[in-house]
Amino acid sequence: MKVTLERSALLKSLGHVHRVVERRNTIPILSNVLLSASGEGLQLKATDLDLEVTEITPADIGQKGATTLPAHTLYEIVRKLPDGAQVSLEAGDNGQLQLRSGRSRFNLQSLPESDFPDLATGDLTHAFKIPAAELKRLIDKTQFAISSEETRYYLNGVFMHVAEVDGQAFLRAVATDGHRLARLETPAPAGAVGMPGIIIPRKAVAEVQKLIEDPEAEIGVELSSTKIRFSIGPVVLTTKLIDGSFPDYARVIPTQNDKFLTVERKDFAEAVDRVSTISSERGRAVKLAVSDGKLVLSVTNPDSGSAVEELEVDYDGAALEIGFNARYLLDIAGQLDSDTALFKMNDSGSPTIIADRDGASALYVLMPMRV
Amino acid sequence: MSAPEPAASSSGEARKIRKIIHIDMDAFFASVEQRDNPDLRGKPVAVGHGRARGVVAAASYEARAFGVHSAMPSVTAQRKCPELIFTPPRFDVYRAVSLQIRKIFARHTPLIEPLSLDEAYLDLTDCLDDGETATQAAEKIRAAILAETGLTASAGVSYNKFLAKMASDQRKPNGLFVITPKQGPAFVAALPVRKFHGVGPATADKMKKLGIETGADLRACDPHVLAHHFGKAGAFYAAIARGEDHRPVKPDRERKSIGAENTFLADIFTPEAMQEKIAPIVTKVFAACERLRLFGRTVTVKVKYADFQQLTRAQTQSAPVASCDDLSHRAQNLLRPLFPSSKGVRLLGVTVSGFEEMQGEADQLGFAFPCD
Repeated sequence: MKVTLERSALLKSLGHVHRVVERRNTIPILSNVLLSASGEGLQLKATDLDLEVTEITPADIGQKGATTLPAHTLYEIVRKLPDGAQVSLEAGDNGQLQLRSGRSRFNLQSLPESDFPDLATGDLTHAFKIPAAELKRLIDKTQFAISSEETRYYLNGVFMHVAEVDGQAFLRAVATDGHRLARLETPAPAGAVGMPGIIIPRKAVAEVQKLIEDPEAEIGVELSSTKIRFSIGPVVLTTKLIDGSFPDYARVIPTQNDKFLTVERKDFAEAVDRVSTISSERGRAVKLAVSDGKLVLSVTNPDSGSAVEELEVDYDGAALEIGFNARYLLDIAGQLDSDTALFKMNDSGSPTIIADRDGASALYVLMPMRV
Repeated sequence: MSAPEPAASSSGEARKIRKIIHIDMDAFFASVEQRDNPDLRGKPVAVGHGRARGVVAAASYEARAFGVHSAMPSVTAQRKCPELIFTPPRFDVYRAVSLQIRKIFARHTPLIEPLSLDEAYLDLTDCLDDGETATQAAEKIRAAILAETGLTASAGVSYNKFLAKMASDQRKPNGLFVITPKQGPAFVAALPVRKFHGVGPATADKMKKLGIETGADLRACDPHVLAHHFGKAGAFYAAIARGEDHRPVKPDRERKSIGAENTFLADIFTPEAMQEKIAPIVTKVFAACERLRLFGRTVTVKVKYADFQQLTRAQTQSAPVASCDDLSHRAQNLLRPLFPSSKGVRLLGVTVSGFEEMQGEADQLGFAFPCD
């Protein structure tokens, strides 16, 4: 194999694929990136056996061939080369690969490309295109609620499925950690209708999010019940899906909550942040006492004191006291788009809905804390 | 006649026979090393440091044939088996493999209680597929572990945790053993008490003085006498002697403390040496606290002298440990009065306990998912 290409092009591609490679690996080949030189250019590929990212970048191909090199080392070398430099990669005969650029020369130990694992994709049964900005929004606003609890592995990702509401099909993204739930939707792209409900693992979701650089682009999605593939410009990310069933989340979204409160989102978030300063440990409860036109936020910490703040709100229901984890309130407030947040509450032991006042595309459900 | 008991009337439901599996990886650390390094296969291998004061963390079956076992001083191990190869532990790898195994368990049941990196209890009572037996599930799990990690595991299948644990030891390595509810009492009766999981050498000696050497002896003993001699544990011994153990498989075992300790190559005497040696231990403990998001109010230090005499000092403050510096400060305050020391100190340890987060966690309500 012999290829020459510009440092910036190689760095960009490596930047995309090398993140997939785990820092600590039990199997040596998984620390490596696969480089294959063909007529189309230089293809890079990295995998962790669940997730695979490939990218083809234009290059001068002196001799076709393929090999694998330690991903993080290669990335670091290319990163440190001067801007505008040309990089040449040439396979030697002793299992080494020589990287040359300007006056630098590296001999890197390679591993045979035949050992590099392939995510056997099988048939992808459904395909659609989605605007990058839409996909990014679905991910951005649900990601925070993904569970990291390993015993509930089926919550360790974003659930995507198509739901029909009033005769219109929506592509929905849902994530929950058992305490809070985020549900986003967008009109279902043609081709998505009929797709199976799938759970995309956390790591894949985060990678897709990072790979979306141009919000104007269209992203190709192909999937089956076990795999999903995203084509983002020259980058193709394929991941296994979480093999489990996502709980029937609709059952925990209350429909009868009749106590509606609207509040200026920014004022609310700042007030929650202020009063929660008094709670020394993370994740402590904030008490919300709502009555006619008034919301009183309070935190009591037996060790350090207490904090109270009053906000003017739009509320005319029966008086109610309810506690929430301050962190969770701030997370959700940070996700809302509109200036006014709408809370739909029932009682201090039942789920509360939080949403933008206008626009139902994002919905958050939060379980209270005992206070 | 007493009042009717509606719950018990649907006979059998109240006392459903549980299906518990105990999975134990065979010579875990050593097997991982042999897997990753072909030169070690078929040879006596000890995971640990071979230098003075090192201990064996795990021994391969080839090494066990020479009488080498875990927790044995490296020097003793080397004497017993001159060909013994020491290989330094790679805990990151063991942790990664352990997670792989837990993922396999999770395909079968959400009720997983890990005991350590290489052992776990699984409750499959309500998770078996139609017509599948717990034994078949255990074989599937063992096969998946072998296929996906290249390592072997042994399994014990029974109707409670105690017997499942005892069973997994019966056909080690790479075996499976079942103790049915019918066989349970006879199995326990024949077992020497010192082999009971939960009976240590000290308790075994004490029992011997009372004339209790086997499960049958234990069963014959009056539970009140056991309670008198062994307190709360007495009731547990009386139950297991009958093959009974109602402890549930707890998926999220609460962590009660986080600690680390270090044995030094050369004994230390001065406050300066103490400061230097305690720093990496403190860093390690605080990193673990951060990772687990557990911040305790009690800091305990442990000192072991050259003559193996050991002491601990603990202090509880009103606020939990807030930072690495804070922990370092508290640990050093406890240690300072002990230095300079006329006796050499061979080991220092730091532990944080008294976590508060649990209370907070308990107050958070969760969604009631239909089939979770």
